[in-house]
Amino acid sequence: MSAPVIALRDAGKRYTKYDDRAMLLSALRLRSRSTQSDLWALRHVDLEVQEGESVGILGRNGAGKSTMLQMLAGVTAPSEGRVRVDGRVSPLISVGVGFHPELTGRENVFVNGTILGMSRQNIERRFDEIVAFAELENFIDTPVKFYSSGMFVRLGFSVALEADPDILLVDEILAVGDFAFQLKCYERMQQVRARGTTVVVVSHNLGAMRTFCERGVVLNRGQLAHDGAMFEAIGVYHGLMALRDEENADDPTLVSREEGALEVVDARLTTESGEPAAHARAGEGLVLTTTVRAHRDVDRPFVGLLIGTADRDICVYSDSNVADGYPSLRAGGAQTYQVRFPAAFPTGSYTARMTLHRHVDEYRRVQIGMSPTISFYVTGRPLVGGLTDLRASFTAAAEV
Amino acid sequence: MSTSLPNTVVPPARVRDSASGFELSRPGTPVGALLAKTWRSREVLFVLARKDFFARYRRTSLGLLWALGLPLVQAIVLAAVFTHVVRVGGAVRAVQGGPHFSYAVFVYSGIVGWSFFAANMPGSSTAVVDNSSLAGKIYFPRLMLPLLVVVTGIYPLVISLGVLLAMALILQHSVGPEFLYVVPASLLTVAITAAFGVTLSALHVYFRDVRFLVQAVMSVLFYATPVIYSLSNAPESVRWLLAFGPMAGPIELFRMATVGADDAWPQAVAAGGAWFVVLTILGVWLHSRFDRVFVDRL
Repeated sequence: MSAPVIALRDAGKRYTKYDDRAMLLSALRLRSRSTQSDLWALRHVDLEVQEGESVGILGRNGAGKSTMLQMLAGVTAPSEGRVRVDGRVSPLISVGVGFHPELTGRENVFVNGTILGMSRQNIERRFDEIVAFAELENFIDTPVKFYSSGMFVRLGFSVALEADPDILLVDEILAVGDFAFQLKCYERMQQVRARGTTVVVVSHNLGAMRTFCERGVVLNRGQLAHDGAMFEAIGVYHGLMALRDEENADDPTLVSREEGALEVVDARLTTESGEPAAHARAGEGLVLTTTVRAHRDVDRPFVGLLIGTADRDICVYSDSNVADGYPSLRAGGAQTYQVRFPAAFPTGSYTARMTLHRHVDEYRRVQIGMSPTISFYVTGRPLVGGLTDLRASFTAAAEV
Repeated sequence: MSTSLPNTVVPPARVRDSASGFELSRPGTPVGALLAKTWRSREVLFVLARKDFFARYRRTSLGLLWALGLPLVQAIVLAAVFTHVVRVGGAVRAVQGGPHFSYAVFVYSGIVGWSFFAANMPGSSTAVVDNSSLAGKIYFPRLMLPLLVVVTGIYPLVISLGVLLAMALILQHSVGPEFLYVVPASLLTVAITAAFGVTLSALHVYFRDVRFLVQAVMSVLFYATPVIYSLSNAPESVRWLLAFGPMAGPIELFRMATVGADDAWPQAVAAGGAWFVVLTILGVWLHSRFDRVFVDRL
């Protein structure tokens, strides 16, 4: 095997949070360093990528994915360990207005290309392709300040893809541009990969990751949690998402929390037929079952269902807050609650969680418990956008 | 999607651009690599500088005339005030001598150098922080950012040199070959400004006080620089100190090109050269040390 094109050895990145006002003073040693607090965004990461591989990096927000990409782009150096990149890196990011909004598209291509390490001749040779790919033939001599954000993204991506890098870094590519352009980028990335370019992708879009990357790397709290085949990595990622995480509890309508009234002893997400529902087909019926054991008496409990996307945004909340609630819980007793809902979501990764509440009055409630988060992946509706899939029916009739 | 699958196409053997690779084991880019990368991007500097300059006058009805008009107005006012309204400058005339000596030309030749420094040094010293959004996404030598500000300033400098020439011709009736001294004078001016910008732009990332410190120092430095007076007008005891100011050297060279330099010009030019060398070494070292970690503080 030849030398790896990317090698991280025991790489770590420490960020120091400074009290901003104290920076000058602490530099002059007028203050102790105790005003600083350290945060390791990445630590003890060993990773080798061979030429031509395509690697997807998975991880929850704050797991260190962006820091990793920044290190691979050479934007930031590791605080410990080593990062070696053998070849020219091109980050596939929207460059933003870049150096100057008065630059025309043409000049911007030249400036960005040069920054990405292309020679002038090389840029000139590929110029027409770049413009054609970005679909900006009619606007290439317009100052970029008049570009729409979509035009901007297209130009930035186009230059990065045509820069013929040895290593292409992709950050959430499928989150930008319109759908047609996303498909085009995706196709071009496949071609770039076929030319032997190494590709590193960070995305929350597991569907895209699964088709594009053979290898998956999972980061968790700055550590390498998994490195292997992508389908395994997605499993590990789902496992991490399911881990109970208190800071994750961002229920929108909560008044207050009460600890110790009950404990959740079991929670599972299944299909109607009782199969585990880690992968659900769009529209399929799902059942979230939670069993709790009460430590105290609870009058009129009720439960809620919280559905979130992979990056923690709540997309649906619904509860059984009827005046009567469920039968009261007696200390020591156990109760099983079930909530049925359709997997009416576009293709993607979601989380489900049951919350348990005590009724106070019509407008107030107290949260007394919460099930672990359970992740599931919905397939089959890739062309549906938004938070939920309405399953709207469309008809056409000839006008009489 | 019609995509060429990896196994149906025989890709041409890739030649890795290993020269563009990097190895990071500690914060920093070796000085050689930093300078080489900056040099390779020099064309970008000039494209951006030209753009920056011409963009300033977009959408004005007079357009580029403003670039010529402003220094011209300044020069005319100087000439009118100092030749017809108030007859100051006697003290300067006494030490500079010469039958055709014009105090207006004397002052303007100082202003040419000073205003380049005053207009570009502050912007240059905050350039890394000011471009933080770009710096977080893509690597390029951060050294380019302060340099870009300075290179942009060269356009107005060239215009004011033209105005200086016209002014010297009109008010002093003749201009000799010594006017060519404006070339080393301009080079030294640009070099010193760039050296300040490079050093301060690195420090500013860590010490945001730099921005205001620079503003404060500039207002003092104007009076500590022989712009409106001659070094020889200053008392013996502080003359060496004034000659040591960063802009005294370039300004003496501008004087040499027009009204004649002060006797202390060699010390002033040597001091200017020293500022340039010391700050360039310090600034390039700072950038080479912190180039790849600036982004952590932006």
